[in-house]
Amino acid sequence: MRPGPGLRVRRFSWIGWMQTQSRITEAQEDGSGSGRGRSPLRPAGRFLGRLGRSGEGVAQHTGQLALLAWRIIVLTVTGKVSLKEILRHMYWMGIQSLPIVLVTSTLAGVVTSQQGGYQFTGSVPLYILGSVVTSSVVLELGPVLTAVVLIGRVGARITAELGTMQVSEQIDALHSLGRDPVRVLAAPRVIAGAVSFPVLVAIANTMGILSGMVAARATLGLSPQSFLYGAQLFWHNWDMFYSLAKGTTFGLVIPLIATHMGLVTRGGAEGVGRATTSAVVFMLLAVLFLDALFPPLLLQ
Amino acid sequence: MVEYEGVYKTFDAPVLAGVDLAIPQGETIAVVGHSGTGKSVLLKSTIGLITPDRGDVKIDGESVFRSGPKALEQIRRKVGYVFQNAALFDSMNVLENVSQGISEAELKTMKHAELLRRVGEALEHVNLDPRAVLSKLPSELSGGMRKRVGLARAIIGRPEILLYDEPVTGLDPVNGTVVHRLIAQLAEEMGVTSIIVTHDIDGVLPIADRVAMLDKGRIRFVGTPDDFRKSDDILVRAFLHREVPTDELLEVV
Repeated sequence: MRPGPGLRVRRFSWIGWMQTQSRITEAQEDGSGSGRGRSPLRPAGRFLGRLGRSGEGVAQHTGQLALLAWRIIVLTVTGKVSLKEILRHMYWMGIQSLPIVLVTSTLAGVVTSQQGGYQFTGSVPLYILGSVVTSSVVLELGPVLTAVVLIGRVGARITAELGTMQVSEQIDALHSLGRDPVRVLAAPRVIAGAVSFPVLVAIANTMGILSGMVAARATLGLSPQSFLYGAQLFWHNWDMFYSLAKGTTFGLVIPLIATHMGLVTRGGAEGVGRATTSAVVFMLLAVLFLDALFPPLLLQ
Repeated sequence: MVEYEGVYKTFDAPVLAGVDLAIPQGETIAVVGHSGTGKSVLLKSTIGLITPDRGDVKIDGESVFRSGPKALEQIRRKVGYVFQNAALFDSMNVLENVSQGISEAELKTMKHAELLRRVGEALEHVNLDPRAVLSKLPSELSGGMRKRVGLARAIIGRPEILLYDEPVTGLDPVNGTVVHRLIAQLAEEMGVTSIIVTHDIDGVLPIADRVAMLDKGRIRFVGTPDDFRKSDDILVRAFLHREVPTDELLEVV
């Protein structure tokens, strides 16, 4: 039966229920609640309360992220984002990140090659190593290691920078001057990330394969020809698209989370530290979660 | 004309509990009160940086909180805001910082020479030598200079209303007097409405047309500086004469 116009129906909310449970147990702990005895359900209530609060926080952040992403899409499509700003951010996100990306991908290629060689020697033809290194680097290590490095170098910097602007009223100043912080600060960073990250991933892939090949030659005596023969044997062009799709996705998600966390920072220097830490955790989880979604979606 | 109509705002506790105040065009009003009485929240709500839970703020009859983004941008362009710590953009030099006060549409068509002239003019207005400071970053300026650059950024767009959030906090008495004189000078030369949130009652009384005192989120006193000086209100007296709180006063606070 539908309620009449004057009747208000209060819907049941799990989050609300869990928070209520938490408050009840906290009140019991303080002795301020009606029941002063120690309830055996108290730890469960407290756990559920925390779970509810965490769930509420995650839902809130997710909603705000979706709104931020939508506004960035609208601003990009309507051509309201400064090209100069995008290029400026591409420079520090892309060019200035090259050294650390090159070092990481080189070492990843060397390690994969040596560990593969250790396992294959005497059991599998060594040229298979070319395929193992190439697939590992292109499908997983190149995009994910680059993303992890860029979370530290790019994501943390964005959150700390925007967080500091927030707590020092610079974001308020932008509003007061009739400037939209999403258009001025967030959109150029997210677009620059989406453009420069796949390029960095492509460079990391190339460097990882080359370093793996050199390491195989130096430690196992596997010739570059044999290595490349093995690499081509199981190569699919789709793999490169898959790798770059990961790079583009991470390139969108990392600056998006970083800018969001920066813009919602509260509470002075401590708040900036807290926001940066949370942002790094969120970015890492998001990258690993999305990474887990890629194989079932694109490798079937 | 700025009108606050029953402005309520609660964070963890009520901060503004129904503020009603009308400030006519061209008036300089000082908003004073103890720390945590909601002065800065009131100032921020003037241009929608903080949205009240209830009530409204109107600028020249237009509601700040019922306006769409375009209309709000137009309202904000009428207002210059001087932040407590100047809130200059760290990565921009003085030229870039001050030029942010000009609307983007105007900036797009403006020649560099014209921009330099406008910024130079604004800096001279606040007694800064443009040649000495134009290329400097905020970190290379003293506290007083930063405040004045913030003021130059607020006035370059030729606002009708200027909002000052603790304009002399952190400044030595000499620089504080310089800033107060500047506020009076700008009000006179530009005919702007000035709302000054401050603790520096001695510095602001000579330049204010009216004084409003906030207490527990409400307007406790509004009147001329003379009325303020002669008031029998226990809180006004304590504020004015820096009286040590008595039991009676503590009860009121």
